[in-house]
Amino acid sequence: MSAISIQNLTKVFPIPFRRERIVAVRNLSLEVEPGQVYGLLGPNGSGKSTTMKIVLGLVSPSAGSTRIFGRDSKEVESREEVGFLPENPYFYKFLTGEEALHFYGKICGLHGAKLRERTGELLNLVGLKHARDRRLAGYSKGMLQRIGLAQALIQQPRLLVLDEPTAGVDPAGSREIRDLILDFKKQGITVLLCSHLLSQVQEICDRIGILHKGVLVREGRLDELISIENQTEIILEGASPEVLARIHAMLSESGARVLAERKPQTTLERFFLEVTSSSKKN
Amino acid sequence: MPASPPPTPAIEPTPASRHVFFSPARIWAIATNTLLELFRLKVFYFLLIFALVLIGSSAFMIEFNFQEQFQLLKDVSLGAMSIFTWLLSVLATAMLLPKDIEDRTLYTILAKPVPRFEYLIGKLLGVLLLLLISTLVMSALFVIALWGREQMVIADTIRTSTGTPPAQLEEVLRGIRSSTFTFSLIPGIAIIYVKAALFASLTLFISTFASSTIFTIMVSMACYFIGHLQGIARDYWLGSATTGPLPRIFLALVALVFPDLQLFNLVDDIVAGNSIPMVLFAKTAALGGLYTCIYLLVAYFAFASKEL
Amino acid sequence: MNEQDLPPIVEAAQPLKHRAWYRFTVVAATLLVFGAAKLPIEKRLNAEYREAFFHGAKLNLGLRQQIGQMGFLAALGGFRALVADGLWIEAHIDWTRTEWGKMLFIFNNVTALQPRNIMFWDMSAWHMAYNASASAMQDIRQPRIALRLKHQHEYFVIGRDLLERGIANNPDRYKLYESLGNVLRDKFLDNCGAADAYHKAATFPDAPDYEKRFAAYQLSYCPGHERDAYNELLRIYREGEKEWLPTLLSRLKYLQENLKIPQSERIKIPENLLPPHH
Repeated sequence: MSAISIQNLTKVFPIPFRRERIVAVRNLSLEVEPGQVYGLLGPNGSGKSTTMKIVLGLVSPSAGSTRIFGRDSKEVESREEVGFLPENPYFYKFLTGEEALHFYGKICGLHGAKLRERTGELLNLVGLKHARDRRLAGYSKGMLQRIGLAQALIQQPRLLVLDEPTAGVDPAGSREIRDLILDFKKQGITVLLCSHLLSQVQEICDRIGILHKGVLVREGRLDELISIENQTEIILEGASPEVLARIHAMLSESGARVLAERKPQTTLERFFLEVTSSSKKN
Repeated sequence: MPASPPPTPAIEPTPASRHVFFSPARIWAIATNTLLELFRLKVFYFLLIFALVLIGSSAFMIEFNFQEQFQLLKDVSLGAMSIFTWLLSVLATAMLLPKDIEDRTLYTILAKPVPRFEYLIGKLLGVLLLLLISTLVMSALFVIALWGREQMVIADTIRTSTGTPPAQLEEVLRGIRSSTFTFSLIPGIAIIYVKAALFASLTLFISTFASSTIFTIMVSMACYFIGHLQGIARDYWLGSATTGPLPRIFLALVALVFPDLQLFNLVDDIVAGNSIPMVLFAKTAALGGLYTCIYLLVAYFAFASKEL
Repeated sequence: MNEQDLPPIVEAAQPLKHRAWYRFTVVAATLLVFGAAKLPIEKRLNAEYREAFFHGAKLNLGLRQQIGQMGFLAALGGFRALVADGLWIEAHIDWTRTEWGKMLFIFNNVTALQPRNIMFWDMSAWHMAYNASASAMQDIRQPRIALRLKHQHEYFVIGRDLLERGIANNPDRYKLYESLGNVLRDKFLDNCGAADAYHKAATFPDAPDYEKRFAAYQLSYCPGHERDAYNELLRIYREGEKEWLPTLLSRLKYLQENLKIPQSERIKIPENLLPPHH
């Protein structure tokens, strides 16, 4: 059974007082297998948010269906297995971190000692134990995203839907969130992710789907989609100039072409993190 | 072709029996959360103003006789209670849904297995709890102020009545006591609460389709005035035969759609010294309760299929 | 990618229940159906309410001219009591300036707003029958005594009229009957009328003890009713020592002599219990 099964999904929004309509999603079909991290990508207005909302039962489809672990999204029951982190959420600012998790736990049916235990566990997991008694109004963006992840996980769902989980978060926080997502994957949780930050998506997703004007234009395993078929990358360490010269000679004989030769770079992100964490130590 | 990743461990699926169709616990969680939100918004400072009004109004009334003093104290306090609970019900409710939508917290709640009707009931219940607490606190303050005045008047009367036979003095004191706190004030205050509850439900309904909080508040306030004129509209519509078809349709709509709020002004007459027949009180309270439920129902109809 | 490259969509429409007009229809229908059901209930409840409180008196729409737009709206808006109280305070201020005409105008409005408030009727009548009348009698701007008497009497009538209207609105309360008795006794010197009023007051279960005594006293001054008054006073006397107040005893003594009650039937009244001037 797929974690998410979208069949021929179409969503049409009528414009009030006008005859035209906006087609947000057009005949979309895709499957997300359990345990995958699936990236749903696309420019603004491509229908990503609408698709997510339909999967979560917040919006109804005009045609087609969406199912979560076999249950129709329109049924309230289907949401027993899902945790959702919306884009730029504010949560209830008057609550402390702990109170917020208690609240979400209660509406998922948890209570008593079990709820307290789970809350403690999640606060630990997302690294917010020190801020448990602080009101959410005093949380930074990164902290809000993390508490958001925690509430999404409160009822131990098998599926997580994350809308722009790292948007507006600093590199360190962003790194932590990505590491968390990879952890979830290891635990077997399915993740549906929407993001504009393509480099981050590239790091964690197994499969991606690209939406454009409501249509799924490309879909498949990430490594298959972006690998340039007829090119190979070899990274050498400790190669002397003589070795390099011999490699060049061998290649020119074989008919392969050297497209580029340069010193590999670390990413700016890794560099930034190294610098900021070492300056923290000092 | 790169090797496929190792199979991931599967998590236990949720048993189908875990989902509960109707959960009072979920509703209660939302209700207490709403109450906490309103409480931490310092909306309760309304009560402080009420207390000040009470005390202030007692102070300037010394030159009236005791009957006038008690009447003014009761009228002002109950009038203040009436308007504050009504204001509280409208303002507190009007911001609930728009705030949740704007802050996107609504999505986080409805993305959990919470049916939309439970969400609405929970929100309304939270406001009703706030109104109940406010009414109780204000009533307590009112009773204390009334009792304080009564004691002062009694002390004064005893002091200036030396030489009066005890039986007569007792009658005078009995007269004083009977014009302060009478138990019939309790149903009057209860109806003030019922009226506020009705407005909370009505405001919730308006907020399901209104475009902004301000709009909700304005429409709700308009309903307040129209509701007080509904009785007159109804009488004109059902009685007079001389109005044209268009005014008749308008009057009919007013009579059908709006509640007759004059029915909920029982406290005015109680203060005048009349006691309410319990049956009348029960019927009025039941009607108010019915209105509250109907407005909640139409709020659900409007909200259930709303695109978020 | 061009528009033509996009796959054709199945003609999809918004499901019925999500269309805005459908939701509006359901909501409107519910409200109208409920409205039709609750209309007779409200009408009946309103009638019961009026019956219980107003005894038929309705909120006078003519009030609008007299208390102004805002006052009228506030009155309708559920703040009738406060509007009445506000006016009452104004009347109090006018009293300090002895503006009797203005006071009467306000009294009529206040009693129209709150016809079930005894205090308003009572005090309005008192102001007119006692205070305004005394002021008229002492009005130095009016040199002719005859006219002063006339104006004074007019105020007596206004006071009595207020009480009678108050009683019409509140036939179930004793207080206004008592006040009527006072006015008839003090201002109209109508002992028979006063006796009648006090008697009516005495019939109420919550009436104070003195009503029946006052009724008997006034009856004793009413020509032709001395016998009845005597019987009544005797009955009260026999209720016990608490009723042996000086006035009762003195009237009893007077009637015993006046009616020539046989000595054997007379009550022995000790001199020390009679009022000093007797």
